[in-house]
Amino acid sequence: MQPADIARSLSAQWPCRDVQARQLASLLHPQLPNPSTVVVHGVSATCKSTIVRGVLAALEAPHAVVRSTECITGRHLLTKILWNTLEAFGQKNEWEKFGKGRCEHVSTLVVLLEECLAARPAEKQGNFVLVLDEIDRQREAPPTLLSALARLGEIIPSLCVVLVLSPTPRPLFLQNASVPHISFPPYTRKEMINILMASPAPTIEGLPEEIISRVYPHFVSTIYDALVGPTAGSVPNFRSICERLWPQFVAPVVQGEVPPGNTEWDFARLLVKNRALFRHQGESALVHRIVPEDSSAASNTFRKPLSTGVARSGLPSLPYFSTLILTSAYVASHTPQRLDTIFFSKFSSSSLSARNKRAHHRRRLKVLSQAQAEEMRQAAKDDPSTPNKKGKRTKTRITKSTLSSAFATSSATTSAMGGGSGITGPSTILTARPFPLERLLAIYHAIDPNPPENPIRTGAVADQIYAELATLRRLRLVVPASGHHGGLGTTASGNTSADAGEKWCVNVSGDWIGELAKGIGVEVGEWLAGGLD
Amino acid sequence: MDPDGLDDVLDLSKDRSQNQGVYIYQPAKAGKASGERPSKRRKVSMNKDSIEKLDGPGFVPLLNGDESAECVQLRYDTYKQLWSEQEHKIQSILEDVDAGVLTDVLSFVRETSPQTSNGCIPTALVTVGSNVSSLSRLLSRLNDQLKSTNEGGVIVLESGDAPNLKTSLKNIIRAAVTNTEGNDGYQRFLTDRSGPRVLGYDLDLLHDYVQRRGTKKLVLALRDSEAFDPGLLTDLFHYSLLLGISTSVELFEGRLPRSCVSLLQGKHFEVQEAGNCVDRIYEALQTSSDGRIWVGRNITSTLFEKATDYFQTPEAFSRMVKYACMSHFFANPLAVLLGNPHKSILSQGQFCEAIRNLPSFRMFCEDLVETGSINEARSMIEDDEYLLRAASDHVDAGQQAMRHIFRAVLLIHTCLQHTHVTKKTTISDLSVRALSGELIDSPLVEDMLATVRTLDSEKLGEVLDTLPKTLSDDSALPGIQADLKALLEANPDSVPLRSEYNINSSVMKTTVVQQRVLLTKGTANLPEQDLQYTEIIDRLVGALHEYFIETLVRPQELFMNEAFVFDLRNPLKETFTPRPRFAIERALASPFDYLISTTAATAGARISAKQPAAAILYQLYLESGALVNVHDLWQAFYGVYESDQGKKVDDRVVMSLFYSALSDMKMFGMVKTSRKKTDHLAKSAWMGL
Repeated sequence: MQPADIARSLSAQWPCRDVQARQLASLLHPQLPNPSTVVVHGVSATCKSTIVRGVLAALEAPHAVVRSTECITGRHLLTKILWNTLEAFGQKNEWEKFGKGRCEHVSTLVVLLEECLAARPAEKQGNFVLVLDEIDRQREAPPTLLSALARLGEIIPSLCVVLVLSPTPRPLFLQNASVPHISFPPYTRKEMINILMASPAPTIEGLPEEIISRVYPHFVSTIYDALVGPTAGSVPNFRSICERLWPQFVAPVVQGEVPPGNTEWDFARLLVKNRALFRHQGESALVHRIVPEDSSAASNTFRKPLSTGVARSGLPSLPYFSTLILTSAYVASHTPQRLDTIFFSKFSSSSLSARNKRAHHRRRLKVLSQAQAEEMRQAAKDDPSTPNKKGKRTKTRITKSTLSSAFATSSATTSAMGGGSGITGPSTILTARPFPLERLLAIYHAIDPNPPENPIRTGAVADQIYAELATLRRLRLVVPASGHHGGLGTTASGNTSADAGEKWCVNVSGDWIGELAKGIGVEVGEWLAGGLD
Repeated sequence: MDPDGLDDVLDLSKDRSQNQGVYIYQPAKAGKASGERPSKRRKVSMNKDSIEKLDGPGFVPLLNGDESAECVQLRYDTYKQLWSEQEHKIQSILEDVDAGVLTDVLSFVRETSPQTSNGCIPTALVTVGSNVSSLSRLLSRLNDQLKSTNEGGVIVLESGDAPNLKTSLKNIIRAAVTNTEGNDGYQRFLTDRSGPRVLGYDLDLLHDYVQRRGTKKLVLALRDSEAFDPGLLTDLFHYSLLLGISTSVELFEGRLPRSCVSLLQGKHFEVQEAGNCVDRIYEALQTSSDGRIWVGRNITSTLFEKATDYFQTPEAFSRMVKYACMSHFFANPLAVLLGNPHKSILSQGQFCEAIRNLPSFRMFCEDLVETGSINEARSMIEDDEYLLRAASDHVDAGQQAMRHIFRAVLLIHTCLQHTHVTKKTTISDLSVRALSGELIDSPLVEDMLATVRTLDSEKLGEVLDTLPKTLSDDSALPGIQADLKALLEANPDSVPLRSEYNINSSVMKTTVVQQRVLLTKGTANLPEQDLQYTEIIDRLVGALHEYFIETLVRPQELFMNEAFVFDLRNPLKETFTPRPRFAIERALASPFDYLISTTAATAGARISAKQPAAAILYQLYLESGALVNVHDLWQAFYGVYESDQGKKVDDRVVMSLFYSALSDMKMFGMVKTSRKKTDHLAKSAWMGL
């Protein structure tokens, strides 16, 4: 079979990939001399693996495919390569001959593969193709793995290694100049629409055939222009959005509503009718949720399109004591330590001057933050090519001045966009900072809304706090922060033990804690810089 | 200080080999070659005798040890029997709570597959809230169900099992195989495979296994999903299914990367909150019609404080109740009366003395004297035989009274639920009030009666229907019910009937007198049937009021209430809120609170060389600021010994004591070496927090 024939037969099922299929077919053709290594690259969902497999199946060339994501270690990958090769030759039962089925290093792999190819049955002689899919995502891969694998084909004459990668490779990344690269570019608008139009429109009962043929092409291209194109969506994505929105789009026809002006439904009228659909439903359609919205609710929404998406499901409520601890953890994480005496000292907490002082600090930090935010906006305006100045600002080293200024920004965003930002909270440059446990205890005592009447007589609560903190940590609301990295928001999540001297960090941000705290009578804003104003 | 004593102090090897910071180096004995393996520890199986010994009643004779063995045994047996009944109730409640979610999850597991959810992994998100334990109950029952029908099984993975991808995969495979085949089966499965030996984390193993067993559904349950490393979860989600979440779906989803979320599709399940569960358990324990023992007011309030203020599972709640109940039977000799003892086994003298010391006995006798039955009171005090008979009679009567109290509580609760007067009042609130005897005077009851007055006939009918059936035997209710029915049948047109207390029946009159507006309230002219209805309502309210006054007595005033109400706050509270930090601080700050002092002089002195070195150092440490110079600390430490022993102090010995003490402090996490200043220690713990 000629490469052109193969491409033609494949394009029926996988359109718009003719060029690549032909290239592959001619490179891997069994009757032609093969290159020792072929690199196939392209972003995800561009049909790379499918085309490679399709071509190999059509050529009836002996081959083995190994998916790197299924291999947990480098050793696992090598072992799997060996087995799949054996399986391709039908020699799986003779595994003991080849290193007892074990392969721990690339050099061993070379030897074993060579033996393997030499021992294969006569009818399977000829070129052998080894496809390593998503090899760039191999876990625990040694740095030389890629180039070593690329050399396999040079050492073993009848072997051809196909490396499938997602990112565009650097020049000469295999330390070898003459490797043919086949690029799978993302689909263009025309191709995308063609692909989608190749499959029939989702069937809906009671929809006249004539309307489908008239409206569906327009619908698909509108969806592309409105939702898929701007977000660089992939084909499956595009298809699922179309499938989800199409029934709602044509619902007026199905339900027998009378179009305005007593004419017939056409695309323009449907579009006008469904303006809001694209705005609300469309955007939520882009985001995949674990729990899909109720289909009944979705079909209702197009009638009253102003109901905005999903109502926030009830947030969990915590017991009183835990709430208080979580609040103190939040406050401890979001107040600079040097202001502790001003904000939390009991000596002068009720006096007027102390209150003034606190208010002064909150205000000062707020002014600072506004200046900072203005500056950032200015900077973004001046230099549009690098709109993201954040990268520059997140220094690993925190000096006092960056701390205060960055903190000021964060508090400003807290107060400014407090209500709207939902549960994720304001994204700030400086997220929660770690704090030692003793500070949490001290702040707990400071913000306790119902302090014991006689603090000397009542026993210490520290032990109870520890117990509750353990539960909070299990819920991932408060996490031990690794003090060594000094990192912001490095939530060292894997480790499950924490020393007494270790630092902790609150792991949820924003308004949820504020609401919780209000429920038990603590005003978080009073303790946060820039909070109350 | 004599060197022998110091050696004792420094001989640390016995019990602190774990965290030994300071030791005296002794060269190893030449006998054993260094490369030799340490002898393996023998596995010691416990003797059967000792196990049996542990199984016997751990109860000790009370009343100064004079209690007879039969009594002890009887107390133990009664406890066992009572608690097993209670536990049974608790279990059935817990199962009942889970049942709904279980069927939902089960049907979800059965019905979904990657095909039905667009190639995504079907995922059930189970929100458990603070009711953490319910998930494990749910999972084990799910596992049983799936196993019994041979459909598959549940693999439970906890965050501790998954430090990284390799281990978690290994654990998953192991759990899947051992679930049905047992541990040996897993080993056999690994070794008996034909073909090359595979790595323990290869999912091919699981694939093989699944194909061999014909398993259809394999559920991977991640118990505390929040505790997982988000990055790891990304890798794991190649086929997971069941996630337990305690906070909320949004919080969880926010932590996962998008690419991972897009692999999942599922459904959200909610498990009932713990508080609800706890209320139901409490209700079942207290208000059952055959209850013999009750939780008192103090314990109830402690229990509910714990349940509302802290994270607590229903299991923990029932454990606390169990502890309280157990301590009642363990430490209260009167508890034997609950086991219906035969007269002969009560060791008379001591036991009767114990009864006579009860506050309720004194109250009872005073009442007897006041009511004029002096002879009775005298025989109560003097005649043991008579007293015992009276006591056991009163135990029965008191139990009856308690049952009535809780029946009344239930009645009030149902009425409140129907009338919707105020915000939800739970059984537990009502119980606390009833147990302290305040319910009858509380505004709750008055409000309730007031709202009952304003009810119209339809609603009243509903209320009357839902009243506990047991109640109708001994009150005027059936009569009232019958009258109401008759009245309604007589006037079928004018339903609903309204009483004169209803707001619709009163009329506002406005009169203008000399340019002033006078408002007068007057009863509108009511039709005949409404007047009759009003009369019925009045009778009902009167009957209820009478009933409440009769039943809602103060439990503390019942004679012998100490036997069937357990209400000692103290061992319970202490046991369930341990205070290790407080204890350590106290031990260090004033060591002679715990140590037995040989000399009387040590009691008053603040710091002295007689105290353990760690305690001395700790007290010096308390006096210092946030940063301590080590040399200063050493000087002060040395000064303590110097002032005690004059010039004879051996520098080196004191130095070694100092180091030992300092290493102890470090072990407690109280000091760290500071990075701010050289030779300084940073204080990291403050006393009294």
